Amino acid sequence: MSGTPTREARNTEQAKPEQRRSPHRIDTGQSCSRGEAILRWTLMTIAAAVVLGPLLWQLSTALKGAGESTSGFLGSLVPSDPTLRNFVTAFTEIPLGQYLLNSTAIAATGVAVNLVIATITGYALARIPFRGRAVYMAVLLATATLPFEVILVSTLLVTRNLGLQDTLLGVVLPQGVAITAIFVMRQAFRGIPTELEEAATVDGAGPFRMFLRVMLPNVKGSLAVVTVLGFLDSWDQFLWPLVILSDPDKYPVSVGVQYLSGAFSADQRVISAAALVVILPPLLVYMFTQRHVFSGLAGGALKG
Amino acid sequence: MRTLLRRSPPRPRSDAALKRHKWYVPLVFVGPVLILQGTFLFTPLVNTFVLAFTDASTVGGGTFVGLRNFTDLAGDNEFWAAVGRTFIYMAFTVPVIVALSTSLALLVNTSLRGSSVVRLLLFSPMVMPLATIAVMFQFVLESDGLINQVLAGLHLITEPIPFLSSSDLALLSLMLVTIWKGCALSTLITLAALQNVSTELDEAASLDGAGWLRRTWNVTLPQIRGTTILVAVLVSIAVLRVFAEPYIITGGGPGTSTETIVLYLFQKGVSPGTQAGYASAISLVLFVFVLAIAAVSWMLTKRRRA
Repeated sequence: MSGTPTREARNTEQAKPEQRRSPHRIDTGQSCSRGEAILRWTLMTIAAAVVLGPLLWQLSTALKGAGESTSGFLGSLVPSDPTLRNFVTAFTEIPLGQYLLNSTAIAATGVAVNLVIATITGYALARIPFRGRAVYMAVLLATATLPFEVILVSTLLVTRNLGLQDTLLGVVLPQGVAITAIFVMRQAFRGIPTELEEAATVDGAGPFRMFLRVMLPNVKGSLAVVTVLGFLDSWDQFLWPLVILSDPDKYPVSVGVQYLSGAFSADQRVISAAALVVILPPLLVYMFTQRHVFSGLAGGALKG
Repeated sequence: MRTLLRRSPPRPRSDAALKRHKWYVPLVFVGPVLILQGTFLFTPLVNTFVLAFTDASTVGGGTFVGLRNFTDLAGDNEFWAAVGRTFIYMAFTVPVIVALSTSLALLVNTSLRGSSVVRLLLFSPMVMPLATIAVMFQFVLESDGLINQVLAGLHLITEPIPFLSSSDLALLSLMLVTIWKGCALSTLITLAALQNVSTELDEAASLDGAGWLRRTWNVTLPQIRGTTILVAVLVSIAVLRVFAEPYIITGGGPGTSTETIVLYLFQKGVSPGTQAGYASAISLVLFVFVLAIAAVSWMLTKRRRA
């Protein structure tokens, strides 16, 4: 048994995201025939069009003036008189700005809770032996398969009884524990060589100083991954905010935009503009972090 | 640093070195997660089992009614229709997403110029909020939406296809949204697996004169079968929980033709219904389905390893 932790730690080190081949950057090192290249390009163009099409159409609708029809054939795909007025309307006449503020507050609090919980729990699971640790690990893994929908109604009752309905904490806390994040952090802490810990112990570092000064600086990469994934998750949340918030002024963007699109006969142009504004932040985060975050994500899924 | 390292035994035992922690140290680290999970996971979970045997309402009250919720549920045709619909949804979307994402991963697994942009694009729906995607596709699928405009423009149809207003087509239309969004993550995972496949076998088969199709089908794909199963399981569980698409795009309609398990659960237990007890019984049935999928996936992986 004594050799096991070290061996596993070594495995983790080898599997660090930085060293893994990224799905975003591919170099097969072999060239392909001209025919194959043309076929691949054609098919890739079609695939890209299927993904881009709805988004571009949305953009086209959002840029159309009030006088221009949103229907009719693709001749009207390019707006005859593009205007940004719909984007302005989305902020002035519908409370998109308020929704964005709410979402930002929820995301900031959610990411903070998620980050703290994942870090300290992951650290304990990786580095602090305690009675029942193996059992708790098993419980965590088991609960990872429990869909939130199963406890939706009960969680609503608990949260309401705590007086957290229509509050920021009521939205954030029930979703504050991300099991994936805990395991990402656990893996990261396991990858730190034991020698470093022993050296710090000999230097007289207590358990908390050890955690803050020695361990945390070594897992910055994983902290970034957990932050990005936490943000994306929070921005995407729909069912729980919908259930726990009854005051439309407190809605996050995902609930707000669908509420507006259904609440009254909304202008399709304005809703399209609002939807694009909502999609933009996670898209930007993705573009800037994809190589570091998502190659690791895919690799992590493979191990599971 | 070097002197310190010399002092440590040749094969360090991390656990032994750490056992000197005071009793409260682990508590400080795992206390917060235990409090949060205790409040928002274990309590509701236990409570779900209790509520399922009561006639509790979300606004209060509730007495023990034994198995009545379950006997009611057994005879609830609307519920079983929703279950059937959800499984039809699964039976269609899971194979399509697996096949499509495998094909897409094979397609973009190339160093061709421009392929990195296509990859970036293909993966991007994975980060777009599902609820917003659903709002967008509501417009895309409408009778004067994008798809009907394209089809009419190509003179393939004369009448607009009632994607959302026909009870025969509505469920299929929602599946398109799930597939559009779901392929992104599945393709990413599959592509990552493809890149770990060694090219040696492929080259050997190539020397033996096997064509691309045969090499892919008989050499490459068998090597990523584990990942393919993983993707199928992930998508199955995601689809079992499908809610945002029907809630936003069709509201479960026309009629009840797009009502899924979770949408029905929501309608009974959250809004407009307040039957916490009955909804808890539905939750437990949903839980059984999830466990069944988990069991099947476990058996599949076990058979593969054996």
